[in-house]
Amino acid sequence: MLTALNKDLKPFEELITSFSRGELKPHVEEHDRFPFGTLDVNLIEDAFRKIFDLGFLGIMLPEKFSGIGQGISAMCMMLGHVAEVDASYSLIILTSSLSQQIILNAGAEEIAEKVYPSANSAREYLISFPSFTDPGQATILPQVSSGREGYTITGKLDYLVLGNFSNWAVLPARTAGSKAYSFFLVNLNDQGVTKSNPIFSLGLHACPIVDIALDNVSARIIGEEGQGQKYFDMTSRIMHVATAAINAGIMRGSLKEAIEYTKEREQGGKAVINWSEVRMLLANMAIKSKAAELCVTQTCKAIDENLRDWGWISIASTLHVHDLACDVVTDGVQLLGGYGYMKDYGQEKRYRDARQVQALLGLVPLKKLALINEHIA
Amino acid sequence: MLNRSEVKSFISRFPRFEDETLALYYAPRMPKAIIKETEKVVALARKFNDEVARPLCLEIDRKTHEDPDYFPLELVKKANEWGFYTLWIPKLFGGKGYNMPSLSYFLEEIGSVCVGISNVIGVHYLGMAACMMLCNTKVIKKVLSEVAEGEKAGDPCLISYAITEPGAGTDVEEVELEARGRLGCQAKKVKGGYLLNGSKVFISNGHLSKWSVVYAYTDLKRGADTKVALMVKQGMKGFSLGRHENKMGQRACPASVLNFEDCFVPDELVAVDADSIKSFTKKSPRDMNMQHIDYVFSLSRAGVGAFGIGAARGAFEAALRYANETEIDGKPMVCYEWVQCRLAEMYANVRLGRLAYNEANLANQHRGTYNLLQMKPIYYYLKYTPLPFFSTIISPLLNTSFATWLLSKWYIDWQKPGDQHLTTGLASMAKFSCTDFGVRNCQMALELMGKTGLRQDNGAEKILRDAKLLQIYEGTNQLNRINLFKSIIAPASPKAAFFEE
Repeated sequence: MLTALNKDLKPFEELITSFSRGELKPHVEEHDRFPFGTLDVNLIEDAFRKIFDLGFLGIMLPEKFSGIGQGISAMCMMLGHVAEVDASYSLIILTSSLSQQIILNAGAEEIAEKVYPSANSAREYLISFPSFTDPGQATILPQVSSGREGYTITGKLDYLVLGNFSNWAVLPARTAGSKAYSFFLVNLNDQGVTKSNPIFSLGLHACPIVDIALDNVSARIIGEEGQGQKYFDMTSRIMHVATAAINAGIMRGSLKEAIEYTKEREQGGKAVINWSEVRMLLANMAIKSKAAELCVTQTCKAIDENLRDWGWISIASTLHVHDLACDVVTDGVQLLGGYGYMKDYGQEKRYRDARQVQALLGLVPLKKLALINEHIA
Repeated sequence: MLNRSEVKSFISRFPRFEDETLALYYAPRMPKAIIKETEKVVALARKFNDEVARPLCLEIDRKTHEDPDYFPLELVKKANEWGFYTLWIPKLFGGKGYNMPSLSYFLEEIGSVCVGISNVIGVHYLGMAACMMLCNTKVIKKVLSEVAEGEKAGDPCLISYAITEPGAGTDVEEVELEARGRLGCQAKKVKGGYLLNGSKVFISNGHLSKWSVVYAYTDLKRGADTKVALMVKQGMKGFSLGRHENKMGQRACPASVLNFEDCFVPDELVAVDADSIKSFTKKSPRDMNMQHIDYVFSLSRAGVGAFGIGAARGAFEAALRYANETEIDGKPMVCYEWVQCRLAEMYANVRLGRLAYNEANLANQHRGTYNLLQMKPIYYYLKYTPLPFFSTIISPLLNTSFATWLLSKWYIDWQKPGDQHLTTGLASMAKFSCTDFGVRNCQMALELMGKTGLRQDNGAEKILRDAKLLQIYEGTNQLNRINLFKSIIAPASPKAAFFEE
């Protein structure tokens, strides 16, 4: 749908779909076994390298920092297509963009200058970020102190996406006694950083997540002190719709597999798809899936056209898309019966992934309350 | 005011008042000792949860992810040691004879900690119910006495129920579909028994069971009219276990493939076939087939309802724990109205679901499978008569064809169609309502908990994975909705037809 509105995205779309089908699809089941099975970080790195080589990790990063310099529409189109095949890789791309957007929104060009143009690998280019956290919602954050040699951070941060892979992380931290927080660039190879084993989570398995502990780790501030919430809000507003695009992609994949299966499988002597209740379930899935795509497309348009309340639209439509997605993937499993529950098919993974995506960028009910507070203010 | 016949006339109209309010009519008729018995099994379940299920459930889930070939044999051994595989076997057949409705409360308790572990226990009773509902006392006695012996010897003897086939899932649960379905498991009559060929899939506890109740067909093209029920034991020639599935959840309970290749099943293990049906009824084999299916699912679907409420409760408890331990803006999360309202809704889902499976149990107690055992004189007679009486006086009688005839007559031939419809309809209602509540509560819990709920070591995400299967097995929730309509609502829709689109 996004390409229909913006024809310039067409060649890009072809590149992404061929990459997803050619490079990601054959390995979905194997990659989903992480952190168990034979897959280790080195093998994931191979997939990351391909994504890096194609430039997907810097899609919204300006060209002067060796990014592609595209807008939110290209980002959403890409995340959706990747998610249709394996949403884990959408989370990797999203995380890369989240840290980039924090840096850009803070106006910390010198950091972007330092990290991106000289990066030769995904490990160097991809900056880890706690993508599931709204630091403003967190009661406890790592503590930062400043001295003659700059800032140092101590404390624990949970659920850091790609924390065991990237060289760098963008992390939130508070000064003692302060409610406000700031973002910092931290070298994850610093001796003071301890990383947990990859966390066994509900979904998006191929994108590793770890807890980290920091002990007096030197850090570089991003933007101004105490302005973390402002940078996060600016980033979150635009990037929320990117998370919606991931779930819209998951929904498309779910609907597609449900239709394919019900056409082939028989019940009572005829194709399952020819029973009216099955059609009704498929219809509900299709309606929700289309509505989700529309939400994503129109939100991207609102952002591109800089509508006055595009930030509000972005978060509101995203929360709606996540609700729709959780319904669709549940029915997606249902339509395949027992087979839908098995790892041989893609539906059970989508059932898990959609909920994991819903939890990105903070707690859903608090986002709802923040939205209405803003609306009535 | 109305006279008696007018009252009777009004309350007999659709919806028939007695059928709609079973608790009002049947609760007073329940033997009082059932309450004490139920309290005892619930307490036992809570103790088991503290000592076994809670410490093991996440570890088993993790182990099965690390090694998909891992089987929780230790868990089965523990359940056997705790006596869980004979608690609900009637004393008549060597068990402890606890009242069957109490099994639902027990399964809910265990399910509130781990639905997979609850299934490892509950599925055995699905196998037992399937075996018993075939009413062949000699076969029942043989199989169930092995379960009792297995408990004494510390060698668990579980029973599974094998009906799903690679090409037929929903089809084997409804005769109208079975008549047209792609069936593959064939039983060929040979001298002294049947030769069994084909496969069964998704058989819960398949790898853990010694015995399986297997449905097969003498004519695959006329499956609904030619069903044969056989008891097959692990180790029999021609019977092998295939792979077990890599499932999203409930990983403590393996879902297995059972393969049969010229597997000879002797006559003494044939529970039901066309000839045995003729010996006690004039009803058609298809009607008998549906009655068997309805009987088994009237029990098992109420049980799955209990699993569903176990999941709903597990999710509620996880969310409540999180809300108690978390602060928002310096205030405990539980102080906020929006949190209280969501937790209240989750709690209400648990209570409402319990009412639904309880209603199904009341139907089974008074109008269905448990009716004989729940009549006060029989209940107390069985409860207080010493075991030696059963083993020396009653037990030998179970080997006679008269016992099989009597049980078949009582349960199958004499069952009123209205009772059959009420029990199967309410069981379907409990099944889809409770399991939908289960998934809904999991979704609500995860929304409330955010990233904390996503971590396997916190338990909430596992409940979401476990719960989804409940909407699928024992008939998809769609089939159960149709069955509810067909069984209970259809009298108000004379033009309604089923499975004929």
